[in-house]
Amino acid sequence: MSSSLSRRGRGEGEGEGVLGPISRSPIVVRGREAAAEAATVAKKLLRSTGKAAWIAGTTFLVLFVPLIIEMDREQQLNELELQQATLLGGPSPALPPPPPSK
Amino acid sequence: MGEAGKGEKRVDYMNLPCPLPFEEIQREALMSLKPELFEGLRFDFTKGLNHKFSLSHSIFMGSTEVPSQSKDTIKIPTAHYEFGANFLDPKLMLVGRVLTDGRLNARVKCDLTDNLTLKINAQLTNEPHFSQGMFNFDYKGSDYRTQFQIGNNAFYGANYIQSVTPHLSLGSEVFWLGHQRKSGIGFAARYNKDKMVATGQIASTGIVALSYVQKVTEQGSLASDFMYNHMTGDVTSSFGYDYIFRQCRLRGKIDSNGVVAAFLEERLNMGVNFILSAEIDHLKKDYKFGFGMTLGE
Repeated sequence: MSSSLSRRGRGEGEGEGVLGPISRSPIVVRGREAAAEAATVAKKLLRSTGKAAWIAGTTFLVLFVPLIIEMDREQQLNELELQQATLLGGPSPALPPPPPSK
Repeated sequence: MGEAGKGEKRVDYMNLPCPLPFEEIQREALMSLKPELFEGLRFDFTKGLNHKFSLSHSIFMGSTEVPSQSKDTIKIPTAHYEFGANFLDPKLMLVGRVLTDGRLNARVKCDLTDNLTLKINAQLTNEPHFSQGMFNFDYKGSDYRTQFQIGNNAFYGANYIQSVTPHLSLGSEVFWLGHQRKSGIGFAARYNKDKMVATGQIASTGIVALSYVQKVTEQGSLASDFMYNHMTGDVTSSFGYDYIFRQCRLRGKIDSNGVVAAFLEERLNMGVNFILSAEIDHLKKDYKFGFGMTLGE
């Protein structure tokens, strides 16, 4: 892209005499290379952040979402039993037998 | 009684408890960290005909992994039906299973006397040279256990475990493989308190295995496990949790190989259990999910 710009500048003739040498000066060239490198680094950073977010998200989904759901259900069941116990005013209802543990 | 009131009892070294059998030394960690993960559909039905005798029918449809030399995992879809019969007596237990892919499993456990137990384990397959059988003779003493094993392929093994304090038991095992003229010796230790269990095992085959299980609340416990294989240079460590609620049991674990797994058993009704299994391998990008139901007591 920079070579086509400078070619156009030279093809136009002496009218572009100011911009041509400026765009060929070392500072501008270095600036352009730095911008390209920054773009590459930003792309890699975005990709690795995306990968990390995917791994973290799926791991959280498999490991912790069922746990949260089950703890919530357990809490609701306890509250329901407490409510029923206070409503009936008698002993709390018998607990169902525990699940099989293999 | 006065000494117990002070909060410290004198240890009675003549009356130590009987230790767990040698192969069950890591039982808590194995139960929490190694559930039976599967991929596909699993359906089990157990019907009791008697209070001692029961039949079971089981269907599995899904992929099983075939070990391959290359990095990719090869999955082959398989489906099989398994018929089983169980006979349970206080002194005698017989379990048999037959599968439609030609395998037969049989297990016998017989209490010959109060302290001596005979266990037989056999697996027969269609493929030649893949069948195995093992005889175990277990003797249980007041604070020790010893076991002698004879297997096919001229395998002989013996192990011994002894309680040294009310919380600590130490054991060792030796084995000899006849066909390959290999022998090995291993040592194990288990420290057991109210809420925690720590075990360590080291064997001359170059394996070091440590595990630690801690009960954090009355419903859940955390477990961790470390294994080092000197021959292959593999090191694996895993952390997991095991929560037992009233209606379900949930186990989850994360591994140093980048594997995340979870296993849920939920009780929908009396005798009806719903099972979900998930395993994600981030490094190999291998995803396995399974579901199933278990009917019957």
